Amino acid sequence: MVTEKVKVNMRNGIHLRLAGEIVKAANMFKAVVMISKDSMKVNGKSILGVAGLGAEFGAELMIEIDGEDEREAMQYLVDMFDSNFSEKER
Amino acid sequence: MDRARADRSELIFHGIPASPGIAIGEAFVVNVENLAITEDRIDEDHVESEIKLFESALSETEAELDTLHRTLEDEMGEEHAKILDSHRLILADQQMKSDTIGLIRDERFNAAFAFSQVLDKVLTAFMNIKDGYLRERAEDIRDVKRRVTRHLLGQKVEGLANLRKKAIVVAKNLTPSDTAGLKKKYVLAFVSDIGGSTSHAAILARSQSIPAVVGLDGFSTRTRSYDMIIVDGNTGQVILNPTPETVVSYREARVRFLELERELLILKDYPAVTLDGRTIELSGNIENEDEVDDVISHGAKGIGLFRTEYFFITRDTLPSEEEQYRFYSKIVRRIAPDPVIIRTLDVGGDKIAQWVVNNKEANPFMGWRGIRFTLARKDIFRAQLRAIFRAAAHGRVRIMFPMISVMEEVLAARAICEEVKEDLKQERYQIGEDVEIGIMIETPSAVAIADRLAHEVDFFSIGTNDLIQYALAVDRGNSRISYLYDALHPSILRLINDTVRAAHKGNIWVGICGEMPARVRAALVVIGLGIDELSASPVHIPEIKKIIRSITYDEAKLLVKKALQKSTLAQVRELLDQYIREKRPELQELVREVP
Repeated sequence: MVTEKVKVNMRNGIHLRLAGEIVKAANMFKAVVMISKDSMKVNGKSILGVAGLGAEFGAELMIEIDGEDEREAMQYLVDMFDSNFSEKER
Repeated sequence: MDRARADRSELIFHGIPASPGIAIGEAFVVNVENLAITEDRIDEDHVESEIKLFESALSETEAELDTLHRTLEDEMGEEHAKILDSHRLILADQQMKSDTIGLIRDERFNAAFAFSQVLDKVLTAFMNIKDGYLRERAEDIRDVKRRVTRHLLGQKVEGLANLRKKAIVVAKNLTPSDTAGLKKKYVLAFVSDIGGSTSHAAILARSQSIPAVVGLDGFSTRTRSYDMIIVDGNTGQVILNPTPETVVSYREARVRFLELERELLILKDYPAVTLDGRTIELSGNIENEDEVDDVISHGAKGIGLFRTEYFFITRDTLPSEEEQYRFYSKIVRRIAPDPVIIRTLDVGGDKIAQWVVNNKEANPFMGWRGIRFTLARKDIFRAQLRAIFRAAAHGRVRIMFPMISVMEEVLAARAICEEVKEDLKQERYQIGEDVEIGIMIETPSAVAIADRLAHEVDFFSIGTNDLIQYALAVDRGNSRISYLYDALHPSILRLINDTVRAAHKGNIWVGICGEMPARVRAALVVIGLGIDELSASPVHIPEIKKIIRSITYDEAKLLVKKALQKSTLAQVRELLDQYIREKRPELQELVREVP
């Protein structure tokens, strides 16, 4: 299992559409993806779960991935956060 | 249907004016279906078929979204169609599917109930999100819930995308995805059962300059598509099945409104000063941030009534001191250096927040509301006052307490203000130093002791809506007696006169807020009575400014002196009408009767 901390740098936080992008990405991998904020932990492949975190600008999230392709999955997700979801969302 | 319609007579409804203008046309009623989900359990034999039903409802919803997507893409471009992407992801959410199927299988819930349980759990989580923007995204989830439930219960929708000719859109509530399929050119006006002036429909309407009235409880269920309706976004009145006479008078009103609007906005940058040089502080009433722009664009200086309760009642949980502080500061900063009067929480009456216990009172307008509520819930009161004093560091703030009826309330509230200030200083917060503290004069009891109250506060603001109701003992929602509800009754003029005199004798200033100043005759009287500050809905500001700029204070004073000697409402009206006719005919066009 791999874990990594990421910070939400998108001005509007993780709203429904961004949650959708995270979920789409997580679903490309076989490993189980869990994301947590404070004491709340959700399935990273569920848009309702991820959006329900209410991750606002500046929030810190913990990503936990477990499974055969866990490293690639983590790399992919962390890159998404680092690039602020590549466009528009700054 | 035709017979049923012929039976229906003209009905007048009062809602919240959300976007100005007048529209006359046929109704187009959107999604009125009542999605009655029952808690009935299913038999074991039906588990698999119930799961199939659920799955097919999901795919039907998906097909429905595909169609909507294409329509949107064709008409508004790809970017707009993207709104629906998250809807589809919700439909495809594996966790949601397996949770729902789990409830059907293990609990034998029927599919609609199981599905709504799962989504309600998510929605509850959403409601706890602190960030307002993220929290509001719950609307999309509700929308998906509605669509799927509709398929589960086998009901047909009349969606806005079906709108093919000009109509007035009537709905229980309008969600972003409802209006996404909307063809703007077909919408004459919006009317919705729920929502305040900050609801999605209201904001959309204002941005598109389409008239709108919201908060019309139960209107959508009483109206059928093709019913004739009139929407007056200036007054908040909606008329169902108007008589031909009413239609004619509103048609004229509509033309006048459009002309006047153009003409009045020219006054925006001129000061509110009478011909003989008396300046009246003209300010706007608001509930939220966006309206600050309306206040400024309509040419008001400052905010004379910032109703804070809407921030409280439009949510499921109590806002924290920090959230309030952020919200108030934004408004204080935006209007600075002009002042803002922040009215402390005025719940009760017709505004009951969800988090205020199940408080069913026989007589809510005479019940636990305004200052009575906040003095009993000091935790809520203190948090709000702390947030206000902190926000005051960013501009000019005045605090006002609602529903004062006795001196004890003023003294208690002031004492709490002092404690709160002291605490904040100890905690090394920056606070506003010269925050004026005032009260609303809206009960006859407060008028009776106004001379005493004037010693304890920095200003009065007369709340005419409630003062009229309490003084004349009339519920304006009661159609049998609503004729009594009129600001020009000699008794009301005297009460306001007494208040103004008491204030000036005590060397404090006095303002007025409520719908009263928005009427020409009443505005004349109010100016003549010597009111120092006048606050109204932004849409009414240009009109009031025109009145102020068209008269002299001296002649208004004289007029009021005569009005105070009259015995009946009719005499007062005649006196004022005669004055307008003979002395200020240019104001005649502003005399808009509300039928």
